[in-house]
Amino acid sequence: MNRFWIALAAPLAACTLSLPASAQQVRYYDVPPGGRAHDVAVTADGKEVWWTVQRGGAHGILNPETGETTIVPLGEGSAPHGVIVGPDGDAWITDGGQNAIVRVDRETRAVRVWPLPEETGPINMNTATFDHRGRIWFTGQTGFYGRLDPATDDMKVWAAPRGRGPYGITTTPSGDVWYASLAGSHIAKVDLDTGEATIVEPPTPNQGARRVWSDSQGRIWVSEWNSGNVSVHDPRDGSWRQWKLPGEAPKTYSVYVDETDKVWLTDFSANAIVRFDPTTETFESFPSDRAGANVRQMLGRPGEVWGAESGTDRLVVIRSED
Amino acid sequence: MLLTLMSPHPQAAQDPGARAFQRCAACHSLRADDPGGPAPSLRGVIGRRAGTLDGFAYSEAMRAAGRRGVVWDEATLERFLADPETAVPGTDMPFQGGSAAERAAVIAWLRQVR
Repeated sequence: MNRFWIALAAPLAACTLSLPASAQQVRYYDVPPGGRAHDVAVTADGKEVWWTVQRGGAHGILNPETGETTIVPLGEGSAPHGVIVGPDGDAWITDGGQNAIVRVDRETRAVRVWPLPEETGPINMNTATFDHRGRIWFTGQTGFYGRLDPATDDMKVWAAPRGRGPYGITTTPSGDVWYASLAGSHIAKVDLDTGEATIVEPPTPNQGARRVWSDSQGRIWVSEWNSGNVSVHDPRDGSWRQWKLPGEAPKTYSVYVDETDKVWLTDFSANAIVRFDPTTETFESFPSDRAGANVRQMLGRPGEVWGAESGTDRLVVIRSED
Repeated sequence: MLLTLMSPHPQAAQDPGARAFQRCAACHSLRADDPGGPAPSLRGVIGRRAGTLDGFAYSEAMRAAGRRGVVWDEATLERFLADPETAVPGTDMPFQGGSAAERAAVIAWLRQVR
């Protein structure tokens, strides 16, 4: 695979809002327009922030210190959806356009593609997570989930119970893998040995479980698109709790739990990132300063959470000043 | 690369339009009565004013598009599918990928679904 990259010097556009409640600082970075930034990931050392250039078929790299961006094309027909930092430190991407798992080497920028076979048809690759055995699990919204072992190139794909819907996916601290089914309105735990998925029903019917994230206790937090709730399932006792996001008719798109077990959500109706404190059961809203921001996913590292505004082609970071 | 399909699954559709619709089917159904899904049913979408399917919770942006007179036809759907957030700023729907040929195929196929 040929490799080449384009380094673009992007102006550093910053807007800082100080919010009194919990000392958080918001900052925005422009990225090349038109690419429709979708998912983000920040490296452990904080020196690079990656985003999927979904409409541009590329891997985007931001230097948050300088604002400089680098674009790495991923291949013909690429339309990347999710990006995560792998245990090897490389970027691992779910590419809906190529119907493939794609890896971009952090050091060399080399691109490697593991496609699904042609006969499966497009599964609308969505999100990925690594288990503790070095294998990457992924979801396909048309009704599939799968697993690639990069060490052996062994790829397995399963039809999801109840078909279409698999969307967000997460790994708990103990290594369990769970995914959410948006169209199926449920979450499911995957057996790491057999691959069988076991459905767990949230208490709100037709809630639209879109994304999931584990907290430090292995509890599964769920962003509920249809209901506008955030909910949490504790696999230890099978319990559920749920809270409606503030405002009129919220639409909860994404969920991410940070290192302090604070829950970060995005609400499309409010055009806002929303931070939920499970201890005090309170919400704090960070509305975008531009209309139609559409933050579809968040990911972070200690002290900072990142998102991509697909509607404005910007990356946003909220840093704790505590 | 070794690939194993571990459970029975529907064969990928052969018709180019139906095959392209597989991307859409992740959220959109073709049922006549489907108000509670993550996206509106696309049965009869050709000729429908944007943001007007009864019972679906559209974004304000999509409802506004309908009030402005946007009606789904080959041209408006092509623009929307090519870049949803440019065609209807503030829409909930993200770009789904696919080539111009795939967009044309799915639009032609949707015309048949009534």
